[in-house]
Amino acid sequence: MVQRRCRQLLWCIALALCGHAAAAEEAASPPPAAALTPAAPVAPPSLSSTAERVYEAARPSLLQIRTLLEAAGRQSSLGSGFLVNGEGMAITNYHVVSQYAFEPSTYRLEYAAPDGSRGALKLLAFDIANDLAVVQLDKRDQPFFQFDTRALQGTLPKGERLYSMGNPLDLGFTIVEGTYNGLVERSYNDRIHFSGAINAGMSGGPTVSADGRIAGINVAKQLGSDLVSFLVPARFAAVLIERAQSGKPLSPADSRAEVGRQLSAWQAKFYQAIAEQGLRGASFGPYQAPESAARWFTCWARTNANQVPKPRATVNMTNCNTDTWLFIADDLNTGVVRFSHSYVRSVDLNQFQFATFLSQQSQPGSLEGWSPKRYTRQRCHESFMGDSTLTGRPLVRAVWCARAYREFAGLYDVSVTAVTEDRGSEALVSRLSMQGVAYENAVQLTKRFLGAVRWAK
Amino acid sequence: MGEVIWVEVLSRHHDVVARHRCVGPEVHIGRGYDNDVVIDDPYVAARHVCIAREDDGTLVALDPGSANGLFADHGAKRLQRIVLDGEHPIRIGHTYLRIRDANHVVSRERLAAPPGRAWPVVLALGVGLLAAEGILLWLGETGEPKPSRYVLPLLGLTVSVLAWTTLWAILSRIFSGQARFEHHLLIALTALLAFSLYNELVDYAAFALTWRMLAVYEYVGSWLWFSALCFLHLRVIGASRLRLKAGVVAALAAVGISTQTLAQWETHAALDGTSYVRHLKPPALRVAFPQSESAFFADVEKLKAPLDRARSEDPLSGGVFSLLDADD
Repeated sequence: MVQRRCRQLLWCIALALCGHAAAAEEAASPPPAAALTPAAPVAPPSLSSTAERVYEAARPSLLQIRTLLEAAGRQSSLGSGFLVNGEGMAITNYHVVSQYAFEPSTYRLEYAAPDGSRGALKLLAFDIANDLAVVQLDKRDQPFFQFDTRALQGTLPKGERLYSMGNPLDLGFTIVEGTYNGLVERSYNDRIHFSGAINAGMSGGPTVSADGRIAGINVAKQLGSDLVSFLVPARFAAVLIERAQSGKPLSPADSRAEVGRQLSAWQAKFYQAIAEQGLRGASFGPYQAPESAARWFTCWARTNANQVPKPRATVNMTNCNTDTWLFIADDLNTGVVRFSHSYVRSVDLNQFQFATFLSQQSQPGSLEGWSPKRYTRQRCHESFMGDSTLTGRPLVRAVWCARAYREFAGLYDVSVTAVTEDRGSEALVSRLSMQGVAYENAVQLTKRFLGAVRWAK
Repeated sequence: MGEVIWVEVLSRHHDVVARHRCVGPEVHIGRGYDNDVVIDDPYVAARHVCIAREDDGTLVALDPGSANGLFADHGAKRLQRIVLDGEHPIRIGHTYLRIRDANHVVSRERLAAPPGRAWPVVLALGVGLLAAEGILLWLGETGEPKPSRYVLPLLGLTVSVLAWTTLWAILSRIFSGQARFEHHLLIALTALLAFSLYNELVDYAAFALTWRMLAVYEYVGSWLWFSALCFLHLRVIGASRLRLKAGVVAALAAVGISTQTLAQWETHAALDGTSYVRHLKPPALRVAFPQSESAFFADVEKLKAPLDRARSEDPLSGGVFSLLDADD
């Protein structure tokens, strides 16, 4: 199957399982018995016995992490977790505990162990960029997992068999075999590509090597694909545990501010990395437009040239964005940078008709998903920009729109649109959109972006 | 000569209902049949008022002793004697009367337009309007050109104009006795043509000057235009009480503008609102002097402070007001 442009939007789907979503999923899926094929391939006995041994050893250290609605005492989302030391600390995903982190008075956290015991959890620390969290159990001296030293050093061989555990769809604790396939090549935030069936509810569960040591933490799967799953490398969990042990514990009231601090720090490094990687020019008809040279931008192209009836103006569009999608809350994601360029050229439209066509192509308000709770209203500045000192650059109509995050001081979403205004029947529409960026960083990148919209030599 | 006295019975709105020619020196008015003018109003006495001429020649109305009395026009004060000037009516019971003698001076006759002169103008305007709308449709056409895209809107426009005009002609016929279809059509066509041009002009100016407030508040002009249109129609119906009519259409405009402002404010509060010029025009029509890069980014920096202030504002307020203090 050909991977289309839209597929990229689907990656990184949170595995936290919501009650109603689970019901829908169960209803939609065929009965489990029907899914079994009569001629199941016979697995080598050694592998299945390894899985048996791994699960038996891991069982007392596995947890289901439940977020309960305080008022109702019912679960509102489910994930998995595992113990990592004798002090009762466990690792899970940030997205599993995000509801509690954002609304500590509305939700509370609870664990359920395979032996049926339950208890309260305290949130000690989290890492937004790597989607990890450390929680504290109310009991100590339980068996716990060790980290795999090869995983910490990044020397696991490609093809090594790994075992992923968790509680998918609240069906009960499960072990899944799969293959280590190295780091995702074009990713800014390091993620392990794991070929195995990870499902909703297994988020935050451990993936271990054959000797039962942690290689990574379940985090996401690719929708619309088979067995393409992602793990957070173990070293990030090791660092976070150290931080949770040495630093003072997070107070529930401060967790939202901590999200803001981590986002600010993350974007500072990210935009510096983009600046260091530099921009390179791509040609669009008589124009040249900037694209990031960083490998973690994925670009897709699209054209309307082959449409029937024949379009009266051709549009050639490229769209590059990063996969730095950060989950903050169920209705709040951030972290993505997108460069997109459309070269529009009239076939038989006159200048007025072409301008109307261009208006449809270049609506600047591309800040999606506005909610009054999360963002301020956007404010825009628009003008014709350019003067005689800018040699080699066409006059553009530039629109800068920005909105601020209500909960995170110093962070904004910014969208910049520039339409060239030098010719009546062809134009380049260039767009840059940045999520969760400091104002200064957005201005800097925009300056370089607009500065690189030029005439081709 | 001079002894002829006209007694005019008026409606509440001072239209003449009946006119009686009486011969002086005195005229008696009442419900009884021994009067010169008989009024069928149960609130009028058998002999209610007597019109007589003073020594200096002025006419006066006298109340010989009725139960309900004699009043000046809509006045509330009962009078025994009213000096008549031929303009201001008197009231007995529920009946209004105007008394004039043969010396009353009437105004000059109005000049009538030659019959049929309006139609060529109406026709020209109609063709002009259809042509203008057709051209605007054509300039906005970016897909496959299909005749139905022109025929249907233009047909719709024609039908709406005719329906609108017919409505006013019927009102005219009811209230002033004459339909004056061509007058109403002339007004409707002129106003529509002006409106299309106004709309386009605003769009072009908003682009050429990058002045989005023009596009945002375009509706204010539209409401003023609509009120003016209604006023002109009302004036054709009757030239009396123009101030009242002007007041009514002004109120219409005020209600329209304030309602739409409120709606826009609420939408803006609930959604993210229009904050840039949406319609691009050919680059050649640009009028605004381009900003230098440094000036552009200086303006961009200025947006930061209001955004930071907005963080702590109530999420669902400050729509129009933040529109007003906006960036440019």
